[in-house]
Amino acid sequence: MSVGPFGIDPTIWAVLRLVIAIALAVFLAMNGALLQVYLERKVQAIIQDRYGPLHVGPFGLLQTFADALKLLSKEDVRAKLTDSAFFIAAPAIVFAPMLGSFVVLPFAKDWTAIDLNVGLLYLTTLGSMTVLGIVIAGWASNNKYSLIGGLRSAGQLISYEVPQILALVTVVLVAGSLSLVRITEAQQGPFVNVLVLPLAFLVYLISALAETNRAPFDLPEAESELVAGFLTEYSGMRWGVFFLAEYGEVTIVSSIMTTLWFGGWQGPGVDAVPVLGILWFTLKTYVFVLVFMWIRATLPRLRIDQLMGFCWKVLIPVALFNIMVTSTLLLAFPGTLWPIAIVNWVGVVALVLGLPALQRRRLHRFRDRVGAARGVAAS
Amino acid sequence: MFDFIEPVVFALLTLGIVSAGTAVVLINRITSAALLMAFTFLCVAGMFLLLGAETIALFQVLIYVGAITVLILYGVMFTPQQPRPYGLFFQKQTPAAAVFVAAIALPVLFFAFSFPDAKEPLARGGDLVPLATSLFGDFAFPFEVASVLLLAAMVGAIVLVKRDDDGSGVDQ
Repeated sequence: MSVGPFGIDPTIWAVLRLVIAIALAVFLAMNGALLQVYLERKVQAIIQDRYGPLHVGPFGLLQTFADALKLLSKEDVRAKLTDSAFFIAAPAIVFAPMLGSFVVLPFAKDWTAIDLNVGLLYLTTLGSMTVLGIVIAGWASNNKYSLIGGLRSAGQLISYEVPQILALVTVVLVAGSLSLVRITEAQQGPFVNVLVLPLAFLVYLISALAETNRAPFDLPEAESELVAGFLTEYSGMRWGVFFLAEYGEVTIVSSIMTTLWFGGWQGPGVDAVPVLGILWFTLKTYVFVLVFMWIRATLPRLRIDQLMGFCWKVLIPVALFNIMVTSTLLLAFPGTLWPIAIVNWVGVVALVLGLPALQRRRLHRFRDRVGAARGVAAS
Repeated sequence: MFDFIEPVVFALLTLGIVSAGTAVVLINRITSAALLMAFTFLCVAGMFLLLGAETIALFQVLIYVGAITVLILYGVMFTPQQPRPYGLFFQKQTPAAAVFVAAIALPVLFFAFSFPDAKEPLARGGDLVPLATSLFGDFAFPFEVASVLLLAAMVGAIVLVKRDDDGSGVDQ
C-alpha cells in the first residue's frame, strides 16, 4: 500500500489536503481583510495628514477587530419589501467565487492547492461571477439607489472584463501557458514580465481597479450620488461579507499581478529556502494592495460616461493592438523578447503622453460646440 | 474505492439541469427564472468538468454565467418586483408548442442515444493545445463563419439602438 506525505493514507490525505486548503483560504481571506481595513485607514490617514486609528491597541492595531466584533454582533436589519431569498443569497454569491480563487494561487514553489492547467482562465471566470451577486443585491434591495448601483456595476464589470482578459492573453502568449505555476517559472532571473510587457500591465492595473470596484472606479457605491449603491440596504454581517469579498478580490487581483508580471514567489534566497517564496509573494502582493490604496486616496471618482468611454475607446483598442503586435513579433523573432519589450515601452510612453493631449483636444471641441450652441441661442 | 462518486455527481448534475431547466420555463418570477438559468449553466459546466474538458467548462461559466445571465438580469431589473400573472400569454399556444417540440426534440433524443461507436473522451481534454488545434485547424471555416455571424449581429444591434444624434449631446 502506497503511503502519502507524513505517512498518511493517500485517500485520507486527498480529503485532508482539501480541508486544509479551504481552511487556509478562509483564514487568508478573513485576516487579509482585517489587515487591509487597518492598512486602508492608516494609509489614507498618512496621505491626508491625519493619525488614523490610534486608541484601540498599539498603533490602533486592534481597531479592525473591534469593528469586526461590532459587525458580527449587529442586529440583522432587513427592509420589509426586500426580496428575502435573493437578499440573503447575494452576499454568498459574491463571497464564494472570491474564496474559490485562492485555490490556484502559487504562494511558493510547490505551495499551490491545485496547479490547474488553465489556472488563469479559472481566476478570470470566478472574477466574472461576482457581478451576478452584485446585480442581484441591487435588485433584491428594492431601493432605487441599490438598483442604480447594481446596474452601474453590471455595465462596468462586463465592460472592464474585456480589456482585463485581453491584457492577460498577452502574458499568456509570451509565457506559453495558462498555468500560474508555469507562468511564474517562465520568469527566471531579474527579467520579469513587467519589463517585457508593461503596456499589458498598465491595462490590467486599470481594469483590475474597475473590476474590484475600487476608487476611482467605485461608481456602484458612490456615496455622493447613490448613498452606498448596492450596499444601501445591507447592514451588519451581510454588509461585512460584501466587504470581505471586496478586500479578498483586491488580494487576488494583486496576486495575479504579482504572479504574471513580477515573478510570483521568486526572489533572492528562494532556491536555498523554498518557503521564503511565501514571504516574497506576500510582500509583492501587498505592494499592489498599497498601490490600490494610494490610488484611492489620490484620484477623484470618474463619471459613468467617462468610465465607459475610457474602457471602450482607449483600453480595449490598446489591448487589442498589444495582442496583435505581441503575437506578430513573437512569430517574427522567435527566441528573443527584445522587440516586444521595445514596442511595449513605446506604447506605454505613447499612452501616458497621448491621453492628456487627447483629453485637451476633446475639451476644446466641447467648448467650441457649447460656444456655437450659445451663439445660436443668442442670435 | 471512490468510483461511485462520478456517477453520483453525474446524477446530481443531470437532476440539476433538468429540474432547473423545467423551472425556468414554468416559474412565474422572472428573476428566479434568470438565476435558475445561471444554475443550469453551472451544472452544464460541471458536466464538461466530468468529461475532463476544464477549458470548455470554464469558458461556459465565464460567458454564460458571467456575461449572458448578467445581461439578462440587467433587462430583468427594469421589470416590477411583484410577480404578475403572465401565464395567460402562453396558454393558447400550448398544443401547437407541444407538437412542435415533439417534432424537433424526439428525433434529436433518439439520435443522441443511437451513437453505436461512442468514443471515450480524451484523457487530457482540458488541455488548450488540442482544443486550439482543432478549432483553428479542422474547424477553422465554421469558426470564421460563426464570428462573421456574430459580427453581423453586433453591427445590427448597434444600428437598431443607435438614436439619431443632432451632435449637441454632451459626451464629455
